[in-house]
Amino acid sequence: AAAPDGTAVSASKTKTKKKHFIGQKVKLFRASEPILSVFMWGVNHTVNELSNVPVPVMLMPDDFKAYSKIKVDNHLFNKENLPSRFKFKEYCPMVFRNLRERFGIDDQDYQNSLTRSAPLNSDSQGRFGNRFLCSYDHRFVIKTISSEDIAEMHSILKKYHQFIVECHGNTLLPQFLGMYRLTVDGVETYMVVTRNVFSHRLTVHRKYDLKGSTVSREASDKEKAKELPTFKDNDFLNEGQKLQIGDDNKKYFLEKLKRDVEFLATLKIMDYSLLVGIHDVERAEQEEMDVEGAGEEEEYENDGMGGGALTGSFGTPPDSPGNPLNCGGFFGPGEFDPSVDVYAIKSRDGAGKKEVYFMAIIDILTHYDAKKKAAHAAKTVKHGAGAEISTVNPEQYSKRFYEFMSNILS
Amino acid sequence: AIAASIASKTKTKKKHFVAQKVKLFRASDPLLSVLMWGVNHSINELSHIQIPIMLMPDDFKAYSKIKVDNHLFNKENMPSHFKFKEYCPLVFRNLRERFGIDDQEFSNSLTRSAPLNSDAQGRSGARFHTSYDKRYVIKTISSEDVAEMHNILKKYHQFIVECHGNTLLPQFLGMYRLTVDGDETYMIVTRNVFSHRLSVYKKYDLKGSTVAREASDKEKAKELPTYKDNDFINDGQKIYIDGENKKMFLEKLRKDVEFLAQLKLMDYSLLVGIHDVERAEQEEVDSEDNEAEDDGESDGGGVGTPPDSPSNTLDSTKPLSPGEFDPSIDVYAIKSAPRKEVYFMAIIDILQHYDAKKKAAHAAKTVKHGAGAEISTVNPEQYSKRFYDFIATILS
Repeated sequence: AAAPDGTAVSASKTKTKKKHFIGQKVKLFRASEPILSVFMWGVNHTVNELSNVPVPVMLMPDDFKAYSKIKVDNHLFNKENLPSRFKFKEYCPMVFRNLRERFGIDDQDYQNSLTRSAPLNSDSQGRFGNRFLCSYDHRFVIKTISSEDIAEMHSILKKYHQFIVECHGNTLLPQFLGMYRLTVDGVETYMVVTRNVFSHRLTVHRKYDLKGSTVSREASDKEKAKELPTFKDNDFLNEGQKLQIGDDNKKYFLEKLKRDVEFLATLKIMDYSLLVGIHDVERAEQEEMDVEGAGEEEEYENDGMGGGALTGSFGTPPDSPGNPLNCGGFFGPGEFDPSVDVYAIKSRDGAGKKEVYFMAIIDILTHYDAKKKAAHAAKTVKHGAGAEISTVNPEQYSKRFYEFMSNILS
Repeated sequence: AIAASIASKTKTKKKHFVAQKVKLFRASDPLLSVLMWGVNHSINELSHIQIPIMLMPDDFKAYSKIKVDNHLFNKENMPSHFKFKEYCPLVFRNLRERFGIDDQEFSNSLTRSAPLNSDAQGRSGARFHTSYDKRYVIKTISSEDVAEMHNILKKYHQFIVECHGNTLLPQFLGMYRLTVDGDETYMIVTRNVFSHRLSVYKKYDLKGSTVAREASDKEKAKELPTYKDNDFINDGQKIYIDGENKKMFLEKLRKDVEFLAQLKLMDYSLLVGIHDVERAEQEEVDSEDNEAEDDGESDGGGVGTPPDSPSNTLDSTKPLSPGEFDPSIDVYAIKSAPRKEVYFMAIIDILQHYDAKKKAAHAAKTVKHGAGAEISTVNPEQYSKRFYDFIATILS
């Protein structure tokens, strides 16, 4: 229906009322897809809810079984950016809040990263085509997971939390920061948020997914055609790739790795990978000069492909608006803030190339028992695309994994 | 060993915004917690919606609904399962703006601390609460009232636009439906007719009718009884306001009751509250003397709060002297001319529609004047004229 006098309704952002708080930016939750809008709305809502729940001294057993659920049904209201009906469920809110704190992530920052602007699609794909997104500021990764993964997370959550307490958040394991179920148009989607392994600023030029196994561990031709292909163990070895981080870094890294894989083996988890990203400092400097050269024509695009470290495109200029939280000084080439890029390791002095490595463990939700069941059920099916049927057990897997990784570091 | 969970309010994380106070929505009644949560949520949602230049017809039919189902989470102050529905959110936001009420302040008034029970009762025992800072009144209404509100909302809004918010009609600021334990409760928020600071020692509900218009003995036993027309006349009560104030008041009243008659609404009242300046000063002296024993109680009764009371967090300017008020907050206040009094006068209870009454009267044909049911034989037009004449007469 048109307005009575025929004018169209146009949005006005100016509010003439005085506000008591430093104005929170209006968050429209605008995104290319309803599910992303719901995600943004949901994270905004749950972090706000938590801000009104006092932080307890310690977590209780019930916190590991808890959830919050909210169902929205609007009618002729707020239809611009959100679907009229949707549901949002957060699993174990108090536990993930505690984990965020232990990982040095402030809830407001977490919320801002995920809600100020829509998360960006990533062309990376996890096993079985899981969907990946990253927050617009590239600090967090959002992975679409299965309901089985949710169940597995619940199974390991107490022990995972305890492990994080004991290692003071100092680990190469995924930093699980939030877990949600979204329902849009009757379809349920499960999502888990983790800290980005790669830098929010420095581009990754080469990426590897390493398991320490050699069966089918090679990037397919289709994969190699991508902008930033995910190479694997055989590619790594065939290329004679080296990760030259120096003795101290190596020692420190392997200590963490050993603790982590022993933990995973105790939980009978396997088939995880070490994700490795390599930032080539000189190449990045060259790319930046190229971008500056083309400055006038190419408006800096914040559409997700132009600045994504995860997607391997050009690095974002230091003063880019995509980095609202980079309020510190400018970083020189190859430099980083270790409290933000927690997985970054500089190549050692004297290494052939000046590089920064980002390395951490990913995909830790495959349980040995679940695998065996699936393998038995699929007994007659041969190595399907993407399905790696390993004949080792978690203990063996962890040892083989650790050996491989310690050999590729120098 | 399960340690007791100790609530800790200190957060060591840095925050980017000036820290919002933690709002626990703690209240004596789960319904109030849900109201606080709901208003907080509703205002937050609205802060992410662009304010349209003008309202659309759909806005008058709109609602937002939210259903919460928590499991082993946030159980301290909130029920685990509840629903909250807001009717016509954009319309009421626009009305708040037209009545000079900032959304954040509205939210704070209703959510920083639990609303207080009021021993005042509306017709048919409707329940009242006031916001903790006494700026707003929350009335529990029926689903028929909600339907009637929807019927009149467009015209009411248009009327408010035309008079620039300058009216004695109730200022409708929000309308909600709360569901707790399967029970639905409808609530409407209006600006308090009385002052958030100055106490009212005498209260009248006037209709200009004389049938059964007297406070009952039970009513008279209350702390602040609601007296009626006959009491007013018998007390020889007068409202002394000067010529200018009287003129402005009657202009507004005339416009208002004509509007109500057009909508075929009737049985409304003029609520009158009287603040006695000297009496209040004496009470304050008394309460200061008792201060060592008695912490000032903000229990929502008629007693005024000391000027430096924490419940007046939004009074950031200088303290007001006895009998003084901020007309942008106490919008209905009129200073008495010769006497040291302040009057608060506005129209209340406007949701009774003539047709609905006739139906009910026919259905109850054999029932005589039930307690509280006033079967008037006038129509809305006559009611409005009689009402206006009576009020005009009592002002001098």
